Amino acid sequence: MFRNTGRGLPAAVVALALAAVLAACGSSSSTTSSTTSTKAASGPGAGKPAVVIGDKNFPEENILGALYAEALRAKGYKVTLKDNIGSTELTYKALTSGQIGMFPEYIGNVLSVIAGITASPKSAADAYNQGKSYLAKHGYTLLPMTPFADSDVVIVKNPYAKAHGLASVVDLKKLGKSFKVAALPEFATRFAGLVGLRKDYGVVPSFVPLATSALVYQALDSGQVQGIDAFTTDPQLKSGKYTLLSDPKGIFGYENAAPIVSNKVLAAEGPQFADTVNAVSALLTLPAIQQMNAAVILDKQSATAVADQFLKANHLA
Amino acid sequence: MIALAATGPIIPTFGGGSSSYACERANRLFCPGWVSQNWSSVLWPALRQHVVLSVIAVAIGFAISFGLALLAYRRRAVERPVILLTGILYTIPSLALFEILVPIKPLGLSARTAEVALVSYSLLILFRNIVTGLRDVPDDVREAARGMGMTPRQSLWRVELPLALPSIIAGVRIATVTVIALATVASYICDEGLGVPIFQAIQDGVFKTELIVAGGLAVALALCADGLLVLLQRALTPWSRARAR
Amino acid sequence: MNTLLDALRFIAHNGALPADPGAPTLVHLTLQMLWISGAGIAISLAVGLPIGAWLGHLHRFSFAAINVSNVGRALPSLAVLAIGDAILGIGITVTEVALVILAAPIVLTNAYVGIAGVDPEIVDAARGMGMSGWRILWRVEVPLAIPLLFAGIRTAAVYVVATATIASLAGYNGGLGYIISDEQSYHLSGVLGAAICVAGLALLVEGVLALVQRALTPRGVQLENEVRGEEVDPLVPVTAVPTP
Repeated sequence: MFRNTGRGLPAAVVALALAAVLAACGSSSSTTSSTTSTKAASGPGAGKPAVVIGDKNFPEENILGALYAEALRAKGYKVTLKDNIGSTELTYKALTSGQIGMFPEYIGNVLSVIAGITASPKSAADAYNQGKSYLAKHGYTLLPMTPFADSDVVIVKNPYAKAHGLASVVDLKKLGKSFKVAALPEFATRFAGLVGLRKDYGVVPSFVPLATSALVYQALDSGQVQGIDAFTTDPQLKSGKYTLLSDPKGIFGYENAAPIVSNKVLAAEGPQFADTVNAVSALLTLPAIQQMNAAVILDKQSATAVADQFLKANHLA
Repeated sequence: MIALAATGPIIPTFGGGSSSYACERANRLFCPGWVSQNWSSVLWPALRQHVVLSVIAVAIGFAISFGLALLAYRRRAVERPVILLTGILYTIPSLALFEILVPIKPLGLSARTAEVALVSYSLLILFRNIVTGLRDVPDDVREAARGMGMTPRQSLWRVELPLALPSIIAGVRIATVTVIALATVASYICDEGLGVPIFQAIQDGVFKTELIVAGGLAVALALCADGLLVLLQRALTPWSRARAR
Repeated sequence: MNTLLDALRFIAHNGALPADPGAPTLVHLTLQMLWISGAGIAISLAVGLPIGAWLGHLHRFSFAAINVSNVGRALPSLAVLAIGDAILGIGITVTEVALVILAAPIVLTNAYVGIAGVDPEIVDAARGMGMSGWRILWRVEVPLAIPLLFAGIRTAAVYVVATATIASLAGYNGGLGYIISDEQSYHLSGVLGAAICVAGLALLVEGVLALVQRALTPRGVQLENEVRGEEVDPLVPVTAVPTP
């Protein structure tokens, strides 16, 4: 127990804080929320039932979700976007429980996480077809995949690659434990990670787990580690500072994106629904998604704004 | 050329290349452009959710503590177990408590889980301050009330509780400030409150502007709530000011 | 209920992860966390105790000394950690700095309040006996202020353990937070198991400090508190409560 002796200053602090909050309130009332689309209710989607699209919790998924949502809205469909649902497991659960009708997924994930198939696919088409037939048995359709693939890739800085003659992950074997690799924590337990590196290549590096992919890049840039697990669509790769090590045995799999849609939604929305979604997917090349990732990840623009610009430029919105 | 344009997408520059987003790209300490672009879509909703999350937690926490405190005021035997239990809840680190609550069926990954955890942090502080405030009422005051013919209930509501108000509000102040700060961690399990932009900023490679604005809003909210409660106490207990002079 | 059983099994297996034989064990992570927290508490004490005690002895800067902990309480630990990341880069340094920023004010305020609140008549008596300022502080004020000093130390310790857990969300990969932030690999059961360990660790730290407090409290102070009906329950964390 003690007595507070000061009285004047708290009041001043309160007044300041109040002023700040009030000012904040005032400014917000002048702007309007931009989440609901006010596009004209015409086009093939007019009069069709509303659909909820979900996406997982990282920027590229937010962009994909926004792209599909905005393109469909432009065609008159009533779309709600549920951002950042979480991991593949959680998002698929949201789909099977009917909370969402569609979400973009990566074909390698469809296979390993959703279908639980552990054998490595032979090609992207093989992965896609296996995933598609698994989902078909459960009442879902895997729409055509994107041209870009977002696979894991081990990268090092150019001078380091040159100094040690690195071109493929096979070359890492000779470096042994002196090669420190940073990645998200789950890299330790996945086949498309340390497990595959050890089993298929005999590569056993030192591992530094880090919480976010931004931190992973920081670790490489600051020289804390020699290599990192990156993703092929990372905007940072456009800088040309890094050497991407090839993966001849394909442990990192095939990770093109493809929307999973419930058959019920497809039936209710009509054939133009899938056509609209597929037209978007077909445009998503590696440079396109990298540029959009750059705008969101590096420039901190909102995924919706970036998706809108891309669709307008390509006459899809 | 035409064939290429037909197959490949047109990739816009998204805001004129790096120049318009130079501040964000360099991750400077504060980019006003980002704040004005994201105020209505990100920051304001998060602030509003944070207020709701905190107010509900303190209100429920107060209701529970108040009931327990009145019970403990009448029967001393109640006090020790309550202090012990709320003390244990208070000691468990926030992130751990959130995760411990997640597997419980009706809670899960929702705002309900966050509320349960936040309420449990407020209990010890509120309970102890209410009980202490009531116990600190001088005996002669209680006897005087009795002497004026008040029933115990009348004495409690008209004399003892008003005299305990400074201590009670002091507890509400600490509980509120604590809950507001802890509610930022709650967004690890439910997508609400100022923790959402804070986590987002961490995910984005420690994006300083978002972090400073969201963290700053949380601190401002805590100080603001504290100030409002001081004003409330002054309004409710005019006699204590008169005595202080 | 299944998750809880799996979590207990996870603890019993010392945090083993079948997919990753090289994963750190629960014991290792718990010890690491104890070390991180211990260092944080030690630095906070080294900063907060002398300043708070000396200001309390002089009865100076009371407003600042009392309110520094209110401001500290309002700081979201997550934001402090992340802003530290932005300035200093990720690692143990940022974590320790954040721990001290959050814990030292609590220690300082309680030290101030404890020392400044010692009955002035006792201090006058000591001065009358010819004791110097230092001796009064060390021999009279500090022993009498033990309950409040420890209230600060214990609250700070609870804060430090909690923040050390959160540090993993801001990129630091030490301690039990490492498991909590990696649900992908450890699943909910592992996360729950680690959370239970964190809770146990916090309660243990709190309990040990309570026993230390009891051992250090002078017999006279204990007796006086019992007479006043304010016996300090060693199992209960005490926080200094400002009464405006």
